[in-house]
Amino acid sequence: MEVTDFKQIKFFEKYTGEQLQKIASVSSVKEFKVKEIIFEQYDELTEIYVLLQGSLSLGISLPKDKRIHLGTIEEGQLFSWSAIFPPYISTAWVMAVTPAKVIAIDARKLNAEIEQDCDFGFKTMSKIAQTISHRLSDTRFQLMNQLNV
Amino acid sequence: MADTTNIYKPLKARLEEVIEESPLIKTFVLIPEREFVFGTGQFIELSVDGVGEAPFTPSSSPHVHDRLEVTVMKTGYVTNIMHQLKPGVMMGIRGPYGRGYPVSNFEGREVLILGGGCGLAPIRSLLFALEHMKDDLEKVILCYGSKTPTDCIYKPLFSRLNSIDKFEAYRTVDMSEEGWDGPVGVATTLLGRVKVKIENSVAVVCGPPIMMKFGTIRLLEMGYRDDQIYLSMEKNMSCGLGKCGHCMMGEFFVCKDGPVFTYKEIKHNPEIWK
Amino acid sequence: MYYINIRKEDWHSSLERLLLSYDIFVPVKNEFSLDYEPFRLYEAENISYNTPKPSTPLKNFFLPVRENVTSSRESDKPRIIIGAPNCDIEALRLLDEIYLDKTFTDPFYRNRRTSTVLISSDCFSTNDHCHCLSYGVKPYSIENADLAIAVENDDIFLRVISERGKELAAQFTPQQPVESSHRVSFIEQNHHSVEASLADKNKGLPDYQATGQIVQKAGNDIWVKYASKCVSCGACTTICPTCSCFLLIDKPDFEKVKQMDACQYPGFERVAGGEDALFELPHRFKNRYMCKYVWKPQKFTATACTGCGRCIEACIGKINKNELFMELT
Repeated sequence: MEVTDFKQIKFFEKYTGEQLQKIASVSSVKEFKVKEIIFEQYDELTEIYVLLQGSLSLGISLPKDKRIHLGTIEEGQLFSWSAIFPPYISTAWVMAVTPAKVIAIDARKLNAEIEQDCDFGFKTMSKIAQTISHRLSDTRFQLMNQLNV
Repeated sequence: MADTTNIYKPLKARLEEVIEESPLIKTFVLIPEREFVFGTGQFIELSVDGVGEAPFTPSSSPHVHDRLEVTVMKTGYVTNIMHQLKPGVMMGIRGPYGRGYPVSNFEGREVLILGGGCGLAPIRSLLFALEHMKDDLEKVILCYGSKTPTDCIYKPLFSRLNSIDKFEAYRTVDMSEEGWDGPVGVATTLLGRVKVKIENSVAVVCGPPIMMKFGTIRLLEMGYRDDQIYLSMEKNMSCGLGKCGHCMMGEFFVCKDGPVFTYKEIKHNPEIWK
Repeated sequence: MYYINIRKEDWHSSLERLLLSYDIFVPVKNEFSLDYEPFRLYEAENISYNTPKPSTPLKNFFLPVRENVTSSRESDKPRIIIGAPNCDIEALRLLDEIYLDKTFTDPFYRNRRTSTVLISSDCFSTNDHCHCLSYGVKPYSIENADLAIAVENDDIFLRVISERGKELAAQFTPQQPVESSHRVSFIEQNHHSVEASLADKNKGLPDYQATGQIVQKAGNDIWVKYASKCVSCGACTTICPTCSCFLLIDKPDFEKVKQMDACQYPGFERVAGGEDALFELPHRFKNRYMCKYVWKPQKFTATACTGCGRCIEACIGKINKNELFMELT
């Protein structure tokens, strides 16, 4: 992907051209077919993703191959943030519901850049924090609905 | 109006049909004795003869005056009895009461509707009203969440809306079920898909108090001003006339000053999400 | 506004004559206190003038505890109510704003208001908890009532206030106009001494607006403290001349009965789903003060508390709202 392509995506709007160049150099675009698993719960994660096109479902696994669908990842959203934080183990599985296209960013190399470049690190961590915050808020709301509060 | 001389006297209406929407929710089709005119978002007090009455916002089009549809969720004493009624009985209607959606303010704008649970009932009426004036609107988007796929009422509504020019409808569920491959998550998660020009938009939120609270927070984060967000507040509306005091929310009588308020009007009140 | 004078015995015989066309209520001392009774000539000597105040607030004449609001009724017989203190007369202004509101006028309240003549009674003394003056309400009527009565020995003086009062006043015969202000100087004197007594007794009590501000700002502790003796009996709301919240009860054949209710009863704001915003007692207790001193003033021009003090007298937990307000200042 080119830097200009990144600039079209809302997720990357605050980064400078130089910073986007760094991200582009450690990213690739991947495509998934319907029902294809992107990663399983408890997988060790090496990449952090931003969904470009399509729709993904997120959930947890139960014994006897049962999957509980808990949420949906929308276009433009970041997922697989556990790849940035030790122990880098996924807390959920993610599967493509429709044909999907994602930007896959090498998490080790991104971490190295975060440590080196403070401004870049701050912007990246802010975006990740915001994503997690929204997801937590939505999940709490979902929980309250289930508890009939 | 029910009775121009006596504000307490109901207008009689025959229950023509009962539609089962979900295990706990039924839609009642009522034929009033006289033409009944209401504004979308206004409510009525629907009574069971000799038992009691409860407030409901009609879910039918405000442009139809000889029949009325009211969606009733089985939650308490009166609604439990209502759910046992069979077509042919007479019911009582008092109203219409309150301040409904000011649809004339929506002309030339994009309308984003965020709904949850039983909130789809008043929203359905609003959608009919908006469809009637769609030439004067830029866009109408519905984001709706129900607990499970089975709990969603008016299932045919979504495909119908998506086939109308300028209308978009999205559905999500809190908990998935066998056979569901749509989005999972609360209604606010659908807002990520929505493309609106916020400066020229209004947002309407209708659903359980928790959903209204989270929805309002998310809309404000998106950039909506507090006077662009319309909330339908539920309270213990009883007389509907701004007199009996049961529906007071701070200084407002919800039955008279509402039930539709802008967030700006009520945000100073700490009780609004109770 | 002007005065007319009638000798007491002529006053009594006029009232008797008026009984043919009106129901007449007069304030009579009973073994407990003072209250309204139908006028009967043979008991006329027991009428108590210029003494505050009947236990029953004036609102009960216009908003009965229970009434059927759907079945048609014969029109109300005209009434004369004698002896209402000005705190009750002023309280009617709020009830008028609520029930005579143009969008939804209560026809029963309206008919009773138009068929009732109010003869207010100037207060020439005070009860323990009277504090009308602190809220801008005088202990005598110069507006809103139709007539006002002041008695000196065997002389009845009627202050004619409204057109309706003027029409009724003409029916008291024989009567003499009051030309010299000297004859009614006793009224002025009594007004002054009662006002002085009220000011002295209620020194330091914040006025109506100030009370609204301190109630709004108060923390939770004060409500917990004062609500600790409350049992939600609802006496305060029942006896209050401005409280009028009600229930509509369904009866067979789509009849409806309107019955007085109280925000102090648990479940007042309970919704079908089970949530009850006023479930907690201190919060429910606070709610009434917020309603009377903060919210009603935002919606209505009439005052929602006229300082009659009946709530303090009636409370079985001996809760005194004025002590609460003084503590907050």
